Amino acid sequence: MKTEPIHSIRPVKHLKPQEHWGWIIAIYLYLAGMGAGSFIIGTVLNWFVDPSRVVTIYGLPLDLAKGVILWGPILVAIGAPFLILDLGIKRRFLYACLNPRTSWVARGFLILSAFIVLGLLALVLSILSFQWLIEQTTLRRILEIISILFAFTTAIYTGILLKATKSIPLWNTYLLPLLFLVSALSTGSMAIILSTLGAGLFSHESGTFKLLMGGEQILVVIEGIVLYLYLSQRYRATEQGKDSVRLLLFGEKKLIFWGGIVLLGLVFPVILESIASFFHGNVVLIFVSGLILLCGGFFLRLGVISAGIKEQIPMQRLMEIQYELIKNPKS
Amino acid sequence: MEEKVLVVDQQKCTGCRQCELVCSVFHTGSSNPSRSRIKVVKWEHVGIYLPMICNHCEKAYCVEVCPTKACHREPELNNRVVIDKNLCIGCKTCIISCPFGHPSFDVQERVTVKCDFCDGDPQCVAFCYAKAVFFLDADKIQMAKKREAANKLIESMKQIR
Repeated sequence: MKTEPIHSIRPVKHLKPQEHWGWIIAIYLYLAGMGAGSFIIGTVLNWFVDPSRVVTIYGLPLDLAKGVILWGPILVAIGAPFLILDLGIKRRFLYACLNPRTSWVARGFLILSAFIVLGLLALVLSILSFQWLIEQTTLRRILEIISILFAFTTAIYTGILLKATKSIPLWNTYLLPLLFLVSALSTGSMAIILSTLGAGLFSHESGTFKLLMGGEQILVVIEGIVLYLYLSQRYRATEQGKDSVRLLLFGEKKLIFWGGIVLLGLVFPVILESIASFFHGNVVLIFVSGLILLCGGFFLRLGVISAGIKEQIPMQRLMEIQYELIKNPKS
Repeated sequence: MEEKVLVVDQQKCTGCRQCELVCSVFHTGSSNPSRSRIKVVKWEHVGIYLPMICNHCEKAYCVEVCPTKACHREPELNNRVVIDKNLCIGCKTCIISCPFGHPSFDVQERVTVKCDFCDGDPQCVAFCYAKAVFFLDADKIQMAKKREAANKLIESMKQIR
């Protein structure tokens, strides 16, 4: 079988992306992003709607409605061990906080730990509905505001972690943290929609639910726009950025991109949700579109990670000219 | 203080990969080129053999991104950049961030390893029979290259006469 060179001037037969970080890191980025996003949406929902359903279990008054909308930190806590799973020597994971002055991995370790601790604290304090605890409104508001700030940094950090490695042009842009933040918010709001619908907190015809759905659809559209801007900017940035985008759009990873990111993450949910709204909010359709969207969020991380191609080494062009591996454009 | 650096004359390299063997024997005790710190990259169809070594960069990305300070600079030993085996957690961030693709993951030790000048006596220099790798004072690199170019010029002038 004849293989066509895919690069116009160089005899490169296939594009080789990095293989050191794989699906484990993608799962971690996905869970951390979705957890942080759902915590942001859930807390805002808690402030403005304040749903409440107090049940007494073993003499403890528990507000289960808060548990349904504030479970984000649990998801982040599930995602963080995946980062440890990827390490060479797993029992040394606590060392990872030793160099926060320059390293974003160390800063992320601290940000994630802080978010998990504060978020779980906020979750527990909201669920326990003792009278004396409910009266501490200022204290709880301060805790929630701080945890929301950490949730935002967690969602942005998932992009910064990749950006900070610098030598992979596909990742080295501020649009990547933005893309991951928007994706975190859209998957997070979808997760909140699914959990509230599953727990029967809001009926699917109530005003709050429609507001959530509307916001979620807008976020999906914004995500699509940011994804387009990101890819087109990377395509024009450097040669390896161009190669990465090519690999994602037309190369080995095209199934992840067109199937996972575009169809599952963007097109199907929008179509299914508009069909669902046409049928007065069919619950099954909303569930299906929600699950599909959540899968799409994972494939977005997987696609971006697996298509990262390293920048060429500085003297490579010199070697190529010296040994006439490339055609001299002037001759 | 005089700093020494590893310099590769890639035109002299024959691609025998002796350096990979002695490097892995020195660092790991096994003659396994895949665990070597120096890697000879070959383009057989054009006859280029390029030993890839760590450049111990002035502004080293691997030092910057390392979360544990395992990857650090030692100014007292030729300003080298080394990875402390006892601190490294094997997160592979330095591998991804290095523009020269240098630090490599040692599958047996489960940590990232890189060139450390063999504590001042690089084995690749000692065993390279083609003398393609040098360990020179940093300020003498230019001199060596100039002398080499002058030697070539003399050779060609002799041929003309």
